[in-house]
Amino acid sequence: MMKKTPAAAIAALGLGVVLAAAACSSGGGSSNGGNSSSSTSSVTMTFWTNATPGPGLTFFQNAVKSFDTAHPGVTIKMQNVQNEDYDGKLQTALASNSAPDIFFQRGGGKMLAMVNANQVAPLTLTTADQANVSAAALAGETLNGKIYAIPMDQQPEGIYYSKDLFKQAGITSTPTIIPELEADVAKLKAINVAPIAVGAKDAWPAAHWYYNFALRECSQATMNAAGTTLKFTDPCWTKAGDDLAAFLKVNPFQQGFLTTAAQVGAGSSAGLVANHKAGMELMGAWDPGTIASLTPNQKPLPDLGWFPFPAVPGGAGDPSAMMGGIDGYSLSPNAPKEAFQFLEFLVSTPQQKAYATAFITLPVNKAAQSVVTDSVSVSALQALNKAGYTMQFLDTQYGQNVGNALNAAVVNLLAGKGTVAGIVSSATEAAAKG
Amino acid sequence: MSETLRTAAVGRIRRGALQVGDAAHAASPTPRARKRGRGRQRLEIALLTSPAIIVFVGLVIFPVVLAAYYGFYKWQGYGPPTDWVGLGNYKIIFTDPAFQQALEHNGLIVVLSLVIQGPLAILLALLLNQKIRGRALIRVLIFVPYVISEVIVGTGFSLMLQVTGAVNDALHSIGLGFLATDWLADPNIALWTLMGIITWKYIGFAVILMLAGLQSIPDELSEAARIDGASYWQVQRHITLPLLGPTIRIWAFLSIIGALQLFDLVYIIWGQYISGTAGTSTMATYMALNGRLAGNYGYGSAVAVVMFLVSLVVALFYQRFVLRRDLRGAVTQGVN
Repeated sequence: MMKKTPAAAIAALGLGVVLAAAACSSGGGSSNGGNSSSSTSSVTMTFWTNATPGPGLTFFQNAVKSFDTAHPGVTIKMQNVQNEDYDGKLQTALASNSAPDIFFQRGGGKMLAMVNANQVAPLTLTTADQANVSAAALAGETLNGKIYAIPMDQQPEGIYYSKDLFKQAGITSTPTIIPELEADVAKLKAINVAPIAVGAKDAWPAAHWYYNFALRECSQATMNAAGTTLKFTDPCWTKAGDDLAAFLKVNPFQQGFLTTAAQVGAGSSAGLVANHKAGMELMGAWDPGTIASLTPNQKPLPDLGWFPFPAVPGGAGDPSAMMGGIDGYSLSPNAPKEAFQFLEFLVSTPQQKAYATAFITLPVNKAAQSVVTDSVSVSALQALNKAGYTMQFLDTQYGQNVGNALNAAVVNLLAGKGTVAGIVSSATEAAAKG
Repeated sequence: MSETLRTAAVGRIRRGALQVGDAAHAASPTPRARKRGRGRQRLEIALLTSPAIIVFVGLVIFPVVLAAYYGFYKWQGYGPPTDWVGLGNYKIIFTDPAFQQALEHNGLIVVLSLVIQGPLAILLALLLNQKIRGRALIRVLIFVPYVISEVIVGTGFSLMLQVTGAVNDALHSIGLGFLATDWLADPNIALWTLMGIITWKYIGFAVILMLAGLQSIPDELSEAARIDGASYWQVQRHITLPLLGPTIRIWAFLSIIGALQLFDLVYIIWGQYISGTAGTSTMATYMALNGRLAGNYGYGSAVAVVMFLVSLVVALFYQRFVLRRDLRGAVTQGVN
């Protein structure tokens, strides 16, 4: 996930050897003796991840090492591919029948394309595996009733805000409905900070505003149906656009938002929040890490808070529903059975704890969630566990092609160049290109 | 060169044949030897040109053919393409308003580059051809932007041209605050901002070309004209400019092709997504967005083919009608 890398990169900045050591010790302790007996002949498997050097990569190195030790004769060859190069490399490897046995899976439309080309293996989970992996996350990796990837973590989306700026502006409680959010925007403007930062240059951060309005306006069934038909005829899609257009009337975003990047540099939307130039930002669970890397002392922002996307009165969607991303791992059809054992190993509680610490994220394994202790992540996690249902980010859910078109159309609307009807029609036009 | 090769080869063999001194075969060796010589000559040609041909075919012709092939499919890049759509992709390209806008932007950039950079470069070259103080330094300074990588130029300008960036700050502090604007995001201004950056970046190259062209014009001509009473501007108009013609035509050709394929500056400054919104999209950024980024490799290939054909047609027309005089006997005609 494009949005994921910086989180991993930040992890690299903030933490160091201490965490690596922690990951190492917990990884070592978790080796599961039960699986090791099956393999006597030597097996070599290839494993591709997009983890960046730092705690994330160290976690995987340790996991591979302890798995190899617990399974004599099994050797996993790990390769970390830079996130932005990952898709192209994987695609080439898949097309030339030299696919890695185990590989990082973005899910959504990309996974659908791999499934259609028979380039990814369906997985059969044991009840123990299913207990380790949350059902909500697993649903995101399921296509036509078959599971094609094991999820590792969940990245629910919500609004990150500066408690200090809220206090200065006289905002006493976080908004729960959109009209309250609009009132808070006005209060933040009065103290001369940008109310909400958005990195529209990257398109998706802007589009996520539309996606969350859609999450509130459309029922779960409508949103899922759109995933297969790619038709956005239900009136709720237009209503969500109208909501966004109405919200734009209060000018909630920072000046020059169209050319603001999301995550790179102090001028990015995360940087504006990190430096108290903006009050809020709508972002996924990796944001505290991103913001931490952009504060003047590169430490986590002490007054960072979190609240879920406010409810929209009268919407058909569950007000507790959440949108988010899921990172998973898939197997190629030719992968040996030991490859699946490695995935099972990765979602075991000790590994999940180490994973969550290394990547500063929310593990899918509920038993491992105790390692999440910072107040911001805890409130996101609580909301996630209470959520009626979760949806993948729509640009992932509906595939890159339609997702891109939606993103671009929302940016056009924000820039005053497009219309609400344009959002819906652009998705249909994009579907014709792919 | 080939003629000399042939003569040398045949001559050598003929000498060898004569040394044998066999009268009975005296008549026959020549044609056979010539045939052998021709074979050897072909072998030499094949041997010497094959690396270039292999590289050219493998890295240019083959990908173009492959792109043309993929352009007929709806294809996400996973597995072999199977969903044949014929000319469907091309139909969508030519009816997509986003592509039409990109094409329009490309056209504008082609014209504006010629109109802005051409006269400016000639004037600067005339100036720098004079014996003035610090000429070498000015020449270097004008050429420096051309040497800086596009990524650095793009990043630098995108930081300076933000609403709260250095340019607006500078305008405010010299009392021209009313000129401060959203240079990059305002669709009415963004294309002109881009033109400004392109001019700044590429003017050095044009100036260097023009300077080289000026230096190849013999001084005697302008001296003679001046003796006949021509003014400075008359000399430039009637002697320098016509003789600079070949240089100007070649520069214009390079500029047109560059403008048609403009990608990196736009991609760096406006990112992957918003060039269409800001009104600076080009065919190449459209291709990257709708092909690679959207994962529609079939559609992207079709866009690449359209871009290739547009460039090819423009290039051929330009060579046929504008560069004809300059390239006579080199490109437009075969070597006979």
